[in-house]
Amino acid sequence: MNLKKQGIAFYLNVLAVILSAVGLGLTIHSSTMTTDNVLLGFTTIVAAGVIGIVLECVAVYLPNRMGNHDPISAISVLASIALLCYVFGQCILQRITMIAGLFSFNSGNTAGWQVFYVTVAAVACLLVAIVLLIVGSFLKSVKE
Amino acid sequence: MKQSTKKALWRGLSGVTCFTMCLSMILGSALEANAATIDTYLGTSSEVLTSENNEENPLYDKFTPPAELLNEDGTGNSHALIQAAIDLNRQEAAEGAVLLKNNTENGQGLPLASGSNVTLVGIRSHVPLIGSSFGVKAQGPFISLEQALSQNKTDFANTITTTQNTNATTREEATSVSKTMESWTGEEFEFEGAGFNINPTMVEIYNELNKTYNHANNENPEEVYNPGEPSLDEIAGVNADYAASFAEYGDAAIVVISRPSAESKDYLPGGIKEGLGAEEPLALTTNERDAIELAKQASDNVIVLINSASAVEIGDLKNDPDVDSILWIGFPGNYGMLGVADILCGRVSPSGGLADIFPTYNMSAPAMQNMGKMYYSNTDDVITRTGGMLGFTPGAYTIEAEGMYVGYRYYETRYYDYVAGTGNAASPVGAYASDTEWNYANEVAYGFGYGLSYTDFQFEFDGQPVFEISVDEETGAPSAYATFNVKVTNVGDVAGKTSVQIYGQAPYIQGGVEKSAIQLLNFGKTSVLEPGASEVVLVKVDLQYIASYDESYDNGDGTMGTYIMDPGAYYFSVGNGAHDALNHIMAAQGMDATKMVGEGNPAQVYVQQIDENFISKTMFSVSKTGYKISNQLPYADWNYYQPGEVTYLSRTDWAGTYPQSYTDMTLTNEQLIKNLNGQTYTLHTDDDTSGILWGQDNGIQFYEMFGVPYDDPKWDSLLDQLTLEEAMYIFSFGGPSIPGADSIGTVETYMTENAGNGVAVSLNASKDPSAPWAIPASDVNGNWHPQVFGNAPLAAATFNPDLMHQLGEFTGIESLFTGINILWGPGLNTHRHAYNGRNGEYYSEDPVLSGVAAMEFAIGALDYGLVAAPKHFAFNDQESERGGVSPYMTEQRAREVELRAYQIAFEATKYDTEEYNAGMRGLMTSFSKIGSIECTTSEGLMTEILANEWGFIGYAVTDIYDDTDLWSAVLNAGTTCFDTRGQSGFYSTTTLENCSLFQKQADGSKLSAHMIDGDANLQLKLKEAVHKNIFAWSESHLMNRYNATTHIESQMTWWRAAYYGLGGVSAAVLLLSVAMYVVTSKKKKEEI
Repeated sequence: MNLKKQGIAFYLNVLAVILSAVGLGLTIHSSTMTTDNVLLGFTTIVAAGVIGIVLECVAVYLPNRMGNHDPISAISVLASIALLCYVFGQCILQRITMIAGLFSFNSGNTAGWQVFYVTVAAVACLLVAIVLLIVGSFLKSVKE
Repeated sequence: MKQSTKKALWRGLSGVTCFTMCLSMILGSALEANAATIDTYLGTSSEVLTSENNEENPLYDKFTPPAELLNEDGTGNSHALIQAAIDLNRQEAAEGAVLLKNNTENGQGLPLASGSNVTLVGIRSHVPLIGSSFGVKAQGPFISLEQALSQNKTDFANTITTTQNTNATTREEATSVSKTMESWTGEEFEFEGAGFNINPTMVEIYNELNKTYNHANNENPEEVYNPGEPSLDEIAGVNADYAASFAEYGDAAIVVISRPSAESKDYLPGGIKEGLGAEEPLALTTNERDAIELAKQASDNVIVLINSASAVEIGDLKNDPDVDSILWIGFPGNYGMLGVADILCGRVSPSGGLADIFPTYNMSAPAMQNMGKMYYSNTDDVITRTGGMLGFTPGAYTIEAEGMYVGYRYYETRYYDYVAGTGNAASPVGAYASDTEWNYANEVAYGFGYGLSYTDFQFEFDGQPVFEISVDEETGAPSAYATFNVKVTNVGDVAGKTSVQIYGQAPYIQGGVEKSAIQLLNFGKTSVLEPGASEVVLVKVDLQYIASYDESYDNGDGTMGTYIMDPGAYYFSVGNGAHDALNHIMAAQGMDATKMVGEGNPAQVYVQQIDENFISKTMFSVSKTGYKISNQLPYADWNYYQPGEVTYLSRTDWAGTYPQSYTDMTLTNEQLIKNLNGQTYTLHTDDDTSGILWGQDNGIQFYEMFGVPYDDPKWDSLLDQLTLEEAMYIFSFGGPSIPGADSIGTVETYMTENAGNGVAVSLNASKDPSAPWAIPASDVNGNWHPQVFGNAPLAAATFNPDLMHQLGEFTGIESLFTGINILWGPGLNTHRHAYNGRNGEYYSEDPVLSGVAAMEFAIGALDYGLVAAPKHFAFNDQESERGGVSPYMTEQRAREVELRAYQIAFEATKYDTEEYNAGMRGLMTSFSKIGSIECTTSEGLMTEILANEWGFIGYAVTDIYDDTDLWSAVLNAGTTCFDTRGQSGFYSTTTLENCSLFQKQADGSKLSAHMIDGDANLQLKLKEAVHKNIFAWSESHLMNRYNATTHIESQMTWWRAAYYGLGGVSAAVLLLSVAMYVVTSKKKKEEI
């Protein structure tokens, strides 16, 4: 790949890959930092995240071979968005009960607050990654 | 536009819509899984229990609101309902407020004349505490102190209660204060205020200062507390000429001193911000003292209002000749300031009595030597059970070494021994007001039950008490009552009412069973007596409450411990509080009057010699259900597993046994450690369960069970219809949303809610919108929130059983309007000490006062089909590390102090008839343990004492998400379900297998529908638990809604429509975008 030939979408997608990796890492951390807040279906969630990141890499690489807006990278981006949504969705859905407690009767749950902050960071990274992927979808990956 | 640009556009759009579609799915999952909770907060109804109302199966005919709260056509009258709440809350505050001091010499003190010009001092006069920041919060519009004193019409639109954010740990962090309701657009109400003129200068100053102080009407204690009273310099900084206003408004100066109460946080010893001039959080700070001094500048008539659920240290105010009156007002509720105003202006004469003793220094209570956060020294080495999803800290404990000497029991008993010269009572050990000796006058400011009036009353026994003593020949169940006829005469100048408090003293033998020198046995209240008028008040005393629990008594059948009545002279006395009653007894006993604090009147004492012929020593060794009583909580005592390590306070030697602080206890006993790790039940896997019937077809439906007695065989037939899985759902998910069971014709229903000061659901968010009286969203008062009443200590301080009953009845009525048939309240734990942050939710330090208050409330509520479930059963003695803290105590203490309140409430013998065994139908267990065992898993507590001794039948739910990792042990103990707030959509969205609450069991297992297939014991326990739950439902107004046609109808709420719409549009646009992407790709290829 010649970096001089890369368009804006390329850089956005690369950023998305990095943020997704960080987001997934934080998701894993949020699940392993205490034994009481393990995500159910942890393996599936991690697998979804990893596949999502791989598909993002595909979307980074393929336009160099197949040109802008090729169907495979387009599908990769869509699938990646869906998979990353699944990851942050599980993070939120499985922790709603705990988070509701933090903001009401259980504000003294120190471990819970730590999990909450890591979860928020994970979700933020994944959301920004998704937004970058979307913005990149409108733009060119390689200069023509 | 170029094809490549179009292609990019469609590709980008497909990305956007893919994201929004996924988002709608996440949103939908979150909303549907928490639909019931969301409905409560948004006022929507996503699922409606629907039944056809016809002649054959009529609906809403079992429980109805009173006619005066309905319109002629049977629809609800929100105006009448709110007006009734205003009136009742006003009465509650007027009867609950306690006049502690009133110096009326020279025309000072209370009451104040109508038209008085008054200056309010202290920032809390502008922002008084009305409720708690969490728990029993005061919700919605209220009447401020300023309004109650000077106005005649509500300004609800501009006076909505505020609440402090619960995450704040210091006042400095409490920058977030929010209204409990966005706005009030409903009606305003007229009232008769006190008719005073209020100094506007000071009101304006405090209004300005509160913009930075951020005080709220609902606040929480803090571990390092700062009451946030502005200094005089700050006052002058707003208006340097403030003192000039005093001349015009100098008839009286009213100072308000406040201390908050809320769940999850305690005050801690020494826990006050540095530099405030106080060493303890409940002591007055320099700025508060300066406020009182300012009041003295403003007027020579200084009135102090104590706005707190806990004993504030006001000993020096008692002795300050320039402080003319002190009035304790608790947290009066949304409209309670009207009652306070009634007292201040003399419209009502005070008649309340303190629900807790007010020591000069709270730290002098022996319980204070062991409160707060203490952890085993070897927690990390031996405790393997984790804190669960709620993040509780493992290894917390407290040694309740004060034994049974809680609250006034300590001060009054030590006082008695001091005068008697026994037990080293005069030793300075435990004294805080003197270095040389312990002396009641120094250590206590105001006693339990004490309260002044604007008039004077004379009490005398009207004849001999009537003793009714018998034993059931068949069961051995005792029945022993003494009815005291007390003639009360108003010998003062103004009309008023007063409480009639009967106390007792059992004979104490040095070195024998510990006994309090005085204890409340029951109480009543007069009607309003005009000057010179008399009334005879009947107070019926259950004599089992003067019996003592002797843990070492050999029952002769291999068991130890039971209630005993030592033979001897039993003293009964009527008095203005415990101290007054004890003085009367001491006078009757001829004790040294020169050493007494106060005077005694032997005429107010009745002595009864009790021997084997009158009441046998072991008469109360059998419960009212006929169950033999013996030790059930041996593990409550630390010494049970690790003997000799703890010394409990004993009156044989006050000095030698005064509690030390038991910090850093080390766990060495293997069984003790196993208990703490939750290893108390082993799941069976291969029992023969073929004899336990599930899934039978007996043709009975739930709606047919209204009024069917618990022991009717019809229940067995109904229960046999349930499948094992359905029963497991009902046990696992105890509310607010409770699963349905097709086999018996029940549907998923939102049944439960908090609290005790009303029902925590707005009128227009009713869970029973089909009720004829349901208030529609269009109603002008539709967003009125029923949590408006005063806190529990205020209700207790009324000493008025009828009023307590009315409060329960009204809450029952609220529940009919809001469609809630089980209330998680009232709070019924003991005020072990003043630093418990949650004292505002619990009634008192005295079990009889608490128990009667809760019983009256619950029976009143049940009259309208509301199952009141007192909490937290039991031993929730502190909020610090409340999740699983281990309180260690003697069984005598457990039974005579903590459990007696629940016993009185649950037995409800006052309401028993020949045909009906009255009782309460619900409770919530405690987060805390009893000793090393979780209360939820204690068979001794939940089965032996609660069910067998007391005969409790009903819904017994855990606290929120508590002990979900001990599913089998909880079921085995007799707890009937889990509090699983937020969980709904059972059998689909939420299942036994996917609910994260139950997926990490302490024994390594995971909950599933087949988990107890091989455990006969648990299957039988499950059947019993479900029986009790369903029976409780059948006694509630849930039955108003059920008949043969009952089913659930899903509603298109706005939030459901929103996420459906988002998902639908996203999917459609996604498909279109993908299609257009494909089309433009082809066109581009063709172009090429």
